Amino acid sequence: MGIKTSVDPGSKWFKKITAKVVLVILGRAFQVLSRKDLSIAREIDQWPEGFKMELNIMPYGPNLIIEKNEGFIYAKNISDKAPDLSVNFKNVESAFMLLTPLMGVPQGFAEHRFVVIGDVAKAMSFTRCLNLILAYLYPDFLCRNLMRNIPEINFLNRMSRRAYFYSLGLILGF
Amino acid sequence: MFGSYYEFYNSVKIISGDKALDNIPYELGILNVKRPLVITDKGVESAGLIKIFINAFKDAKEEIGAIYSDVPPDSSNRVVNRIAEVFNENNCDSIIAVGGGSPIDTGKGVNILVSEGASDLMDFAGADRLVKPLKPFIVVPTTAGTGSEATSVAVIYNEEEKVKMEFISSYLLPNLAVIDPRMTETMPPKITAATGMDALTHSVEAYTCLQKNPVSDAYAFSAIKFISEYLPRVVENGKDKEARLWMANAATMSGIAFSNSMVGAVHALGHATGAVAKVPHGVAMSIFLTHCLEYNLPKTGEIIGELLLPFSGADEYAKCPAEKRAEKLIEDIRYLQSKLQNISGLPMKLSEAGVEEHQLGDIANLAINDGALMMNPLDMTFDEAMVVLKKAF
Repeated sequence: MGIKTSVDPGSKWFKKITAKVVLVILGRAFQVLSRKDLSIAREIDQWPEGFKMELNIMPYGPNLIIEKNEGFIYAKNISDKAPDLSVNFKNVESAFMLLTPLMGVPQGFAEHRFVVIGDVAKAMSFTRCLNLILAYLYPDFLCRNLMRNIPEINFLNRMSRRAYFYSLGLILGF
Repeated sequence: MFGSYYEFYNSVKIISGDKALDNIPYELGILNVKRPLVITDKGVESAGLIKIFINAFKDAKEEIGAIYSDVPPDSSNRVVNRIAEVFNENNCDSIIAVGGGSPIDTGKGVNILVSEGASDLMDFAGADRLVKPLKPFIVVPTTAGTGSEATSVAVIYNEEEKVKMEFISSYLLPNLAVIDPRMTETMPPKITAATGMDALTHSVEAYTCLQKNPVSDAYAFSAIKFISEYLPRVVENGKDKEARLWMANAATMSGIAFSNSMVGAVHALGHATGAVAKVPHGVAMSIFLTHCLEYNLPKTGEIIGELLLPFSGADEYAKCPAEKRAEKLIEDIRYLQSKLQNISGLPMKLSEAGVEEHQLGDIANLAINDGALMMNPLDMTFDEAMVVLKKAF
């Protein structure tokens, strides 16, 4: 008979795990670099105290939560506060493309790969922070595909902060 | 040129032409409703357009449930709440918005409340918060125009939080857009020019910005051809029925285009200028269009040059070397603007529109935080925004 019931499509476990790992690294990078880079710090200064944003992979996660407490950014997995800004990736494929250097935020937004719920001005501010963070995490040849203009960062600062993050910052979280 | 993926959706039925209004009762029958609430503003009413609208219901079995004509120039949540009450008190089953951007956006907001049975519009602010179809919604535009009769967006001012709320959902698309040349006939020359330039900007930005796709390009290309031919004609002679009709069509096509391929820096700067210096939207679009095209030239010169064909015609396009087409287009748009300024007084500079130099910093600050900038081919920092603003001043 040509009828199937209880169809189990399985899970994209590799892409989910990769997305989770990148979200953890991204959260740590935000936490560390917001304390080191003046431009990121200036953007965050304009966010209200207690501001919470989420990056979610629909429908069931994984996710990343970023909160501003006492002037500093903290990355978390769980929070009982409703988010002020949510970026919801429509599915794990979209998240995988955007969280790895396959696709940048402008292209992802143009292609409707994610949905933004909340204050658009804060979303633009977050995008500027993200561009700075990616400029620290990735070399120029990757950054060129991910953003329209690579932010100008002093070469020595960029190299030293990158080295610090990948050695101590990622583990210590500050 | 195009991204690896795009989405395009347009479910709006368009009826356009001579006596289009008179088909509204028939279309209400197809939608299985018979008692619409009409939402409009005092300007539309005093121009005699509501009288023309009401005449369309003569001898119809559908009847007008109520008319609300106090929509202010900037729609707000309080107005939306009040109109939702009028809808329910009068047992209406559908909504017809007659007017420009404000009545149309108000109509979309009212439709959210009455369809969801909700009391707080804020619950639905943002993108894709609506999960089911709304009540039948018809739009009769009286400008040419915002294109709101074909967009899935509404912007409504929240009086308590003092911010503009954006509502984005394909469920906000009207069921029907009615383009009747009688409804734009009374627009004064300056407003005709400004709203026409708004439509041109929609199409140009839809064609040249990052979200471009082949389907929205087709609408934009066609709209630009109509605008270039009919806008100067209709500003010169407001009674030119043919020009009125095709400008209204061009505005709708531009609305479809930019609803599916977002706008860019012109709108980011224009929104900010409107917020800080209260410059009307169409005027701001006209002032910034050529400056932002020049700003984007290094990235999208070739794509901008393609628009020389619909704007200036095949002869000009063929005569002009490929590498010069973008600059020629900008020059031709400026020529159109100066013609419109001579006929109608449409400002070409921010200083002519009442903007003061000390406001430029605030405008730049707001503009770089506008979501529209995300889709601009080139990013824009505060300093870069100031350079564009000073050139436009």
